[in-house]
Amino acid sequence: MNPSPSESIGVLDQTVEERLSTQNLEPSVNSDNPQERIQARRLRIAARLEARRREALGEYTDGKKESEEDQSKSYKQKEESRLKLSKLLLCGTELVTNIQVAADIREIHRRVEEEEIKRQRLEKLENEVKNSQDKFDEITTKWEEGKRKRIPQDLWEILNTQQLHCAELIEDKNKLINELQQELKVKDDQYVKDLKKQSDDISLLLERMEEQVKDVMKSFRQELSVIEKAFELERQELLTSNRKKWERALQTHNSKELEYLINRIKKVEDYEKQLNKQRIWDCEEYNMIKIKLEQDVQILEQQLQQMKATYQLNQEKLEYNFQVLKKRDEESTVIKSQQKRKINRLQDVLNNLRSKYAKQVKHFQEENHSLTSEYKRLVIQFKELQRAMRQFAIIDAEKFREIWLMNEEEAKGLIDRAFDVDRIIHMQHLGLPWTAPDFWFLKNVGPISQQPQKTAKQIVEEVLKQADEDGLEENASESSYLDLPKQVSAKTTRKILMLLCDESGFLIESKLLSLLLPLEKNECYLLKLDAIFSALGIESEDDLYKLVKFFLEYRTHHLSSSQIGSWTQANLEQSSFMSALERMSLLSATGLENTKWELEQESEQETEEAESMEGEEEESFVGRELEEKEAPPSPKLIHPNEVLKVLEAFVMGLKKPRNIRATMRTANSSRDNSKDSDYWKALTTVIPPSKQNLWDALYTALEKYHLVLTQRAKLLIENNSLEQQNSELQMLLQQYLHSKVGGQRSKEEPLPSVRWFRWDAKQQEHLRWRQ
Amino acid sequence: MQGTLTPPLVSVPSQSTSSNQGPPPTASQISNVGPQPSKTLSPSAKSKPTNVRHMRRIIAEDAEWSLAIVPLLTELCIQHIIKNFEKNPILKQLLPEHQQKVLNHLSPDLPLAVTANLIEDENYWRRCCTKRWPVCHVSKHGGSWKHMFFERHLENLLKHFIPGTTDPSVILDLLPLCRNYVRRIRVDQFLPPVQLPTSPLTREPSESESEVDSEEPTMDHYQLGDLVAGLIHLEELDLVYGVKDCGMNFEWNLFLFTYRDCHSLAATIKACHTLKIFRLTRSKVDDEKARILIRSLLDHPALRELDLSHNLIGDRGARAAAKLLSHSRLRVLNLANNQVRGPGAQSLAHALAHNTNLISLNLRLNCLEDEGGQALAHALQTNKCLTTLNLGGNELSEPTATLLAQVLAINTTLTSINLSCNHIGLDGGKQLLEGMSDNKTLLEFDLRLSDVAQESEYLIGQALCANREAARQRTLNPGYLTSPIIANDPDHSVE
Repeated sequence: MNPSPSESIGVLDQTVEERLSTQNLEPSVNSDNPQERIQARRLRIAARLEARRREALGEYTDGKKESEEDQSKSYKQKEESRLKLSKLLLCGTELVTNIQVAADIREIHRRVEEEEIKRQRLEKLENEVKNSQDKFDEITTKWEEGKRKRIPQDLWEILNTQQLHCAELIEDKNKLINELQQELKVKDDQYVKDLKKQSDDISLLLERMEEQVKDVMKSFRQELSVIEKAFELERQELLTSNRKKWERALQTHNSKELEYLINRIKKVEDYEKQLNKQRIWDCEEYNMIKIKLEQDVQILEQQLQQMKATYQLNQEKLEYNFQVLKKRDEESTVIKSQQKRKINRLQDVLNNLRSKYAKQVKHFQEENHSLTSEYKRLVIQFKELQRAMRQFAIIDAEKFREIWLMNEEEAKGLIDRAFDVDRIIHMQHLGLPWTAPDFWFLKNVGPISQQPQKTAKQIVEEVLKQADEDGLEENASESSYLDLPKQVSAKTTRKILMLLCDESGFLIESKLLSLLLPLEKNECYLLKLDAIFSALGIESEDDLYKLVKFFLEYRTHHLSSSQIGSWTQANLEQSSFMSALERMSLLSATGLENTKWELEQESEQETEEAESMEGEEEESFVGRELEEKEAPPSPKLIHPNEVLKVLEAFVMGLKKPRNIRATMRTANSSRDNSKDSDYWKALTTVIPPSKQNLWDALYTALEKYHLVLTQRAKLLIENNSLEQQNSELQMLLQQYLHSKVGGQRSKEEPLPSVRWFRWDAKQQEHLRWRQ
Repeated sequence: MQGTLTPPLVSVPSQSTSSNQGPPPTASQISNVGPQPSKTLSPSAKSKPTNVRHMRRIIAEDAEWSLAIVPLLTELCIQHIIKNFEKNPILKQLLPEHQQKVLNHLSPDLPLAVTANLIEDENYWRRCCTKRWPVCHVSKHGGSWKHMFFERHLENLLKHFIPGTTDPSVILDLLPLCRNYVRRIRVDQFLPPVQLPTSPLTREPSESESEVDSEEPTMDHYQLGDLVAGLIHLEELDLVYGVKDCGMNFEWNLFLFTYRDCHSLAATIKACHTLKIFRLTRSKVDDEKARILIRSLLDHPALRELDLSHNLIGDRGARAAAKLLSHSRLRVLNLANNQVRGPGAQSLAHALAHNTNLISLNLRLNCLEDEGGQALAHALQTNKCLTTLNLGGNELSEPTATLLAQVLAINTTLTSINLSCNHIGLDGGKQLLEGMSDNKTLLEFDLRLSDVAQESEYLIGQALCANREAARQRTLNPGYLTSPIIANDPDHSVE
């Protein structure tokens, strides 16, 4: 109903109104009636939707609607003036451009006319050209004619006529030119006119433009003022209407205020009454409470007295306690000071001790340093000493060996001499056949030691060689192959080795294999095995035997397991394997000493064996054969596939004993000299006492014989001298005789010959006796 | 407490002793100077009030009063700089406020060699411009006074350049100074080599020569090539090969746009890649010259507007222009007041049929006649880009009008059509009215002096009014009225 003028204000109004209405008339959300609440919510939603729609459509829609419903005056005025102004502008521009358009159309007309005129002119010109051409042709033909004329009068005539014609032609042309020039002049005039017209047009245009500008300005100003007026009016209306509304609202507000006031007064009265009532009731209650509280106060005062008494008591007690504590405090302060002093003292001591300790530490460190350096030096010295020792040992051994050899040589020389003597005695004196006594030590050369251990390779070589021979005679091999100990036969060893060689080819370098191809089979095996052993870490004879043994043992285990059960091999193998391993490890772990002991035993055994080879030989043979019988006869039972497992187990087991052996070897290096004395003693007792006795007897006898012989010798010498005397005498006699006569000589000669003969006979007799 | 207090007590004397030697004298001087005048003044105040007034530094009642007896040193320096700016231009090193001061006091007569590249201040250039020219429209020069100054200065030089007599270095010397500021060259006269009207005295002695020369080659005008090549930002070139104010010295020779001019101009505009607007009007450009120019403009990277109005271009030139339409991004083509006839219009129409760049086509005052008009109308049926079409004064008649009426019913891009000064006739007017009734986009339709019945012209005017109103609403509320139009569209297509 309110004639809301401007849109914005209208909208504002509306919103205000809406608010008012929602406050007063519309169902409230807070009301008690549920129906009303629902209604209220619905309305609220509708209002929101409306607002959103309006927002979406923008201000314009509002304005439009508003203008449609009840167009505000200002809006109307605005539209009106806008239309008016646009029309004015349009008209103005049309008015201005009209001139241009008019000029255009004039120009077009002019062009059209111009074209027409041009066309006509061209036509005319062409006609003229044609005519003049005809005339010209005529004249030229006449020239020809004239040339033919011989009569001067004729010629003159013709010339005259020609001249006339030419003049005519020229006149025509001149006429045309004149016409054209006329036209040009006209055109010039036209041009000047046009120019004038155009300048007029331009001035008109300018005038119109200025007018237009003025008009437009004026009308704009007018419209502006009109619009302003309209707005003013509208504002006025709006103001009045708003004021009215405001007054109305004020009135309602006043009436409501009055109502409230009355209500308030009523309520105040009510409250006063209630207050009075309350006051009386409160008074009564107050009295009651007062009495009760007074009673309470009395009781509490009594209690207070009591408390005071106890307080007094406590105060005294506490004072006493305070005194005591003060005393104690003093004491404690004294003690504290004492303690502090003590602490200081102790601190000093501690510092001293610390410094001492530091010194000590330094000292000890230095000492430690010196000692360590000393120790290092000593170690070095010790090492040098050891080296020297080793060298000395080697030298000693060498010396020992040399001395030994020297002594031995000496002894052996002596023994030989003794034996020679013995033989001579036996042969010559006793006439007995002599046999040289055969003792082991006689063959011995050099110091007694255990047999040098063969390397695995050598053994293998032997084994292989053996094997070659094996093919020819098995028995011989066994007997000849003495070194292979104990239970293992050469054959099995060989088989095992071959197996090993075939299976563990991966341990051999490929280069080596290529090198081996051209070699002989046995050599090939030998080199291969050498490589394999070096890879496995098998160095000595013992290792090799251990390997072989291990193989055999493994096999027995395997066999036993196979005998027992079905083909649950994997586990069993594993277990047997493990057991073998365990045994090896046990062997290594439990008996460091054991093994040591065993090894010593072995070495001793070996030496013993070396000493009494022949004796033991048979026993070992028996054992070996037994072993062979016990062991399953065919080593084929070791499946090639298991070789690697066995090898692995073996290598695992071998690792530990190896270290022990290293220590053992150094221990072994010191040789035992227990046998030396025996040896030497034995050397001394090469000639048994019985023989010495014999020799003693012989000696005495021979001595006697010697005596006899010496006597005989003396006698012989005596004899000789006598003979010599005799011969000298004879000589003398001869000389004598000669000197006298030669006749006597023949008589003298036979005498000495007789004598010679006699002596020979005697000597022969003596020899015979001797024998 | 006492201990803490003592140090300051001790230190104070030391400070005072030390300060006695140095700064205090000044302080005492100041203090001496301060009170003394007041003492001296107070007795004399009664005797000489005017004197007092002179000595006071501040007078509360007088806002302009200041006792600047000695100007500030900076002020003096600035004055000096201004005085010697020509020899020793110092500007960039100064503080901004001082710069402003210097610029405010610089004379606008300073040589351009000094100022051109140094001064950017618009105020200075504004003073230069207003001093030189009474009427200045800065908005026509991109709103920059500096640009305006240089552009007009250059135009002035070009206008008065006489080939052969004026030293070309006059213009080329200016080139390094103005190259950054000239966006537009608008020259409405090019003087021929020997100027008859201005130098009749010089002409007479050399009459024979000039006559010999004027037979052909010497009528060439100034060659713009070097200049345009040097201007980096040149965007607009507006040339008229003609002479203004020749008065009674008129000769046809003065208005001769020679082939050499044409070739050099063609090369120039081809080399200028920044050129956006090229106008060559009232210069007697015939078909051949137009073809030469347009050939050089083919595939030009920046050209937007080509104006060859008021020339002598015929069908062949129009055909070249049509080719240009399909080989460039031309948006405005003006061939008003030429001699384009039916065939030329047909070729233009052919190019227009599938063109998507051209917005405005002006063929006013040609002779298209119905042949060309129909072709153009056919082309408009497929064209979706053209908004302004001027076919005023083209001898069009009813057949074109019927076709245009069909176009009006379909087309939604055209906003302005001018068919004034044609012979459309009554029936044609009715048909156009029919076409107009289905059109909602056309805002201007000029049918003055085209033999259309007043009634139909009025009705068309009404329809245009409605369209204008709708367009106004559209611009005011871009979102609101689009939907109704879209909704109306199906109706259009059905009808």
